[in-house]
Parts: sequence; structure tokens; C-alpha cells
Amino acid sequence: MRKYLSTFLMRWKMEIQYRGAALGGIVCQMVFGLILIALYRALYLGSPQAMPLSSICTYVWLQQAFFRMLLSSDNDLMDKIRTGGIAYELCRPVNLYGYYYARIGAMKLMGSLLRAVPMLLFASLLPAGWGIAAPASLPALLCALMGLGLGLLCMCALENITMGISMRTIDFRGFQALLNLLMTTFSGNILPLTLFPESWQQVVQLLPYAQLLDAPIRLYTGETPLSAAGSTFLIQLIWLGIFLAIGIHLWQKNTRKMIVQGG
Amino acid sequence: MNTVKLYLHSMKMLLKSQLQYPWSFCLQTIAQIVMEGGEMMAVLLILNRFQALNQWTGGDLLFFFGIMSITFYLTECFGRGITGNFAALIRSGNLDTFFLRPRGIMTQVLCHAIDPRRIGCIAVGAAALALGCRESGVIWTVPKIFLFTEAVFFGMLLILGLFLIEAVFAVHSVKSIELVNAVTYGGRSACQYPIDIYPGPLRVLFGTLAPFALVLHVPATVILDKPLMGMDGAIAFLCPMAGLMFFIIMYFVFQKAMKYYRSTGS
Repeated sequence: MRKYLSTFLMRWKMEIQYRGAALGGIVCQMVFGLILIALYRALYLGSPQAMPLSSICTYVWLQQAFFRMLLSSDNDLMDKIRTGGIAYELCRPVNLYGYYYARIGAMKLMGSLLRAVPMLLFASLLPAGWGIAAPASLPALLCALMGLGLGLLCMCALENITMGISMRTIDFRGFQALLNLLMTTFSGNILPLTLFPESWQQVVQLLPYAQLLDAPIRLYTGETPLSAAGSTFLIQLIWLGIFLAIGIHLWQKNTRKMIVQGG
Repeated sequence: MNTVKLYLHSMKMLLKSQLQYPWSFCLQTIAQIVMEGGEMMAVLLILNRFQALNQWTGGDLLFFFGIMSITFYLTECFGRGITGNFAALIRSGNLDTFFLRPRGIMTQVLCHAIDPRRIGCIAVGAAALALGCRESGVIWTVPKIFLFTEAVFFGMLLILGLFLIEAVFAVHSVKSIELVNAVTYGGRSACQYPIDIYPGPLRVLFGTLAPFALVLHVPATVILDKPLMGMDGAIAFLCPMAGLMFFIIMYFVFQKAMKYYRSTGS
């Protein structure tokens, strides 16, 4: 366990190095957030909805703040697969799956925290109707954080499956782009899932993509009442279990029978 | 003319080389269709819930979405040399070789890349446009077709100009500047919807500084027979020229930046 923890910390330190690069991205993300909110404000003006506007604003800001968690980000392994460098990885005295799981976890967590803190600060300073609203209650906030943590574990496991499949195909870009797309649509990044038609929502909410950000945001805004928090966590745990099982199995099979590209 | 011939020839060669991996090409094109389809689905879902946006009906909104995505992705397809990773050209030192050849730098940058996968996005944009035309009952006339072509062409120049800002910054800082994405990709996201729904500051930004509204929205509203702020007739044909002006200004700034260019030496 310790070696995976130190992998996590190493990667964490590496991510901190890119504070400067993050700044431009943060400002850009803020402009995107403002554009989206301006759009929803105009839409609400014409036909007010049951869901209050402040919840939509909160939804948009939280999505923008933790955007980095959505993107698949570890291109290192992909390069290694293409160049044959994967052979060295196999020599490490660690379980490859655990090693990469820890790496991705650190990247996603640090990468998004670096961006989320200034963004949420900015969003909380904006006037009501533009900025982020306070959480429904303190327990709701704690539940949302717990949900975010579980969602992150889920996403890392899902990403490891993507990589596991990529290992077999060498050129992974088309496949990865498809998955990224499912992610941005069904995670609520393009359009808040709360604005999807009600009949869709019941299905979309159960999908793994909704677990990362949508589920915690609903807990934060109080749309999922605290009494139902347990079932949210249960869904997340079920997906986590499924993904871990598939991923570990896939990686084991892959490492047993791997064709290394000469390089 | 010679330059145009050279450009077309390079495009043909690049396309050929990309098609050497047909399977990968197909998969990536499908991915692009699905990607842009997701964006279009968002518009449809918004329409499903809100029906209309101020005076704009669902068909109008699809029209705006279509004209924007056609313009943007045509630029990404044929202007890949600039919209792609210009900073990488500088970082890797590949730009040095361009200075040795008896052609303009801009020509060579434009000639060195194409992104045919964008055809997927363009197709989705065209579908949205067709659907929008049908729902809004647009009657195409010769001037309207001319206006549409003009808007798309000058829109491409505007977007190229905006990406040139990033290129100019990259000459000075070597790294690509993510901040510029706020006007390029941000402009695309914002101006998928008509400009008049936005509050003052955003209208100024996309009406004058990055004039998407003049280049795309004014012609689009005339085609839809709902002229924006009474801009009709000859003015509608003049407004898209803003894109040309923007590109010309950025072209000279770019040429000036090239004078300052210092190789990274790698």
C-alpha cells in the first residue's frame, strides 16, 4: 500500500509544478462559466423553470471548477505503449494497475484542486444570480465532498479500463475521443443534467458519468435530500466495484499476453 | 495565384497521407460527428425545455448553431497549421526551416497541416443548418446565398485572425497561451447563440473586439428575415468585412512578430 501512496504523492508534487500554466486555464474557464450563466439567465427570463436559477449557476461553477477531473489526462502510458517503453514498466516491482490508478488519482485531484480553489473563490464573490450559492446545509456539504471522493475513485477506475483497452489497439485516439465525448455530455458539462428532460434524467443519473460531478452537485444544492444520500453513495460504490473488477481483470490479461512494440 | 496552387497541392498531399490509415481515420471522424452531435443535442434539449429564447424560435437557434459550427470547423480543417499547435512548431524548432525556403512564412504554416476529420463536425453543422432553415421557413434567394457564403468565408478569416493572436504570443513566450482560448473557443460557444441575449460586456467583446456578431450574426439574422438592430440591406453585406479587416491587421502583427523570432535552438 505504501508504494502506491508514494506514487500518488510523487505525482501530486509534479502537478503542483505547473501553477503558472494553470492560471491561464483558470481565467479561460471563468469566461466559459460566465458565458454559460449568461445563456441560462436569458433562457430563464423567457420561461422560468421549477429548478431555481441559483442552482443552475451553482451547477455551472462546480462543473467548471472540477472540469479537470473529467478529462482523461495520462498520455504517458499511451506513449509508452506506442514506443515499446511499456517493457520497462513491466519490470517494476508493483502491481501495474495499482501504480497507474494512484498516478491518475493524484493527477486528477491535484490538477482540479489547483483550479477549483481560485475559481470557487471568484464565483462566490459574484452577485447572487451569477455566482455560486452556499451549500444547502453543512451535512449536505460533507455529503457532497464524500460523493466527490467516491466519484473520483469511480472515474479513475473507468479510465484504467479505457487504458486497458487502448493497450490492445495501439492507436487509441478515436476510441478515447468517443469516451471523452460521452463524458462531457452525460456528466452535465455541456448542459446541466438537471435541465435534461425528466424522463431522461432518471436513466442518465444512474450512468457512471453522472457519478463524478452530477451526484455530488445534487447533494450540494440539496436537490438530493440527505435522506437519499445513502442511495447515491450506494450507486457510486456499485459502479466502483464493477469498474475495479473489470479493470483489474483486463490489466491482468494484458500483462500476461503483451506484444511489445520495438522502438 | 501560384501560392493558391501550392496550398491546394499541399492539401492534396496531406489528405493522401492521412488516408493511409483509413481505419483510424474513420474512427476519428465518427468521434468528431458524435462530439459535435453532443453539442447539437444540447441545443435540442434546451429547446425541448425552453421552447424559445427571446424572439428567437427553435429553428433560428439551430440556424445560428449551424452557421457557427460550419465556419469554425472549416477553419479548423483548412487552417490547421495555425489553429492546431503553432507553439509546437516554435518549441521543436521546425519553424526555422520555413525561413530558409523562398515562400512566405504564413503560406508555409498554412500549407503544413490539414485536419480532414473535421468533416464530421461540418456535416453535423450542415444538418443543424438545414433543420433550422426548414423550421424557420427560410426562403433562399441569390443575395441570401451570396450573403451566407460571404459570412462563412470572412468568419473563417476572423477565426484564423483570432488564432494568430495565440501564435504571436507564442513567438514571445514559446509556450501556448491558454488564455486566448477564451476568445477563440469561448467565442464559438458564446456565439452559437445570437449576441443580443448576452449582457453588455459580452456584447462588446463579441461585437467589436472579436467581432463574431458582425461577421456571422448580422448576415444570419438577415437571412432569417429578423435583422439585428435594424441592420439590413447594404450594411448586412458590409458587416462581415470586419472579419477581413481583423485578419489583415493580425497578418501584419504576425509578420512583425516573425521579425522578433528567436529560434529555440533545438
